[in-house]
Amino acid sequence: MVVGLREFAHRTGNGSGTPVLDESNGEELMRVQPSVAVALGNRSLESPGTLYITSRKLIWLSDVDMAKGYAVDFLSISLHAVSRDPEAYSSPCIYTQIEVEDDEDEEDESDTQSTGALDLSKIREMRLVPSDSTHLDTLFDVFCECAELNPEPIERKDTTLLLSFNAIFLLHSRFIVSFSSSEEEEGEHNWVFSADQMVVGGGGNASFYTLRPILRFDYHHG
Amino acid sequence: MLFFSYFKDLVGQEVTVELKNDLAIRGTLHSVDQYLNIKLENTRVVDQDKFPHMLSVRNCFIRGSVVRYVQLPPDGVDVDLLHDAARREARGA
Repeated sequence: MVVGLREFAHRTGNGSGTPVLDESNGEELMRVQPSVAVALGNRSLESPGTLYITSRKLIWLSDVDMAKGYAVDFLSISLHAVSRDPEAYSSPCIYTQIEVEDDEDEEDESDTQSTGALDLSKIREMRLVPSDSTHLDTLFDVFCECAELNPEPIERKDTTLLLSFNAIFLLHSRFIVSFSSSEEEEGEHNWVFSADQMVVGGGGNASFYTLRPILRFDYHHG
Repeated sequence: MLFFSYFKDLVGQEVTVELKNDLAIRGTLHSVDQYLNIKLENTRVVDQDKFPHMLSVRNCFIRGSVVRYVQLPPDGVDVDLLHDAARREARGA
């Protein structure tokens, strides 16, 4: 599985057709949307192109440059939304955030200043602008469906997906619940705390209580 | 499936979702699924410095695996109920 955005140029036929999918692994084409422009990060819109939504990933292929195309797995799409706010972006579009390989926190995408090669793997935002904005809601729904088809893979040795959570009480008396895939936090266990186990930690400005764990909550998916 | 059930009961409430990349998004909880993917309505970004162009989007889908926290309204939480449910689930499931 590739994290983040990448180039994609595998087309059928003599390179002028639709994208080649990983059918042997069950990848299916869910929707084809012609006349979609794409804007990566802060870059300008690229068009004309066609958006292919498969059960595994998004593919955008240029209609004029047969060697140009981009793909990103749904596993890497952190969020997607319909953006209609002209202050946010000039055209109504599907806004997506893409997870990147966790390196150093990058302030800007690597391309903004230089004319050098664009590093797609650092792109964190992508907008898809259909020429006909009435398609946006349908596209949003298809994105949701496909995201749901791509939950976190089960990779642990004991083959259970541990979804654990922890509860933290803040001084401001807002109850915050956090849950995370424990694949992200190797070696960290998330514990449930009880209010009667709380001990104030730290000095005057401490916002967190030091909590004694009373039970560990894991639940197994599938 | 504890949190799935729990969040389903919170549909319609204002929540703030903080992602692992530090982005915080506020909105009305529209729905949640078994993977704790979250759909929000009337969303707006809490801290606009990091992702200024996101501003306000009407509907938003957030992948469960990228969520760090979900901030709930204080009166939307029955701590004892949650506590008991967690205990039961850990014991029984």
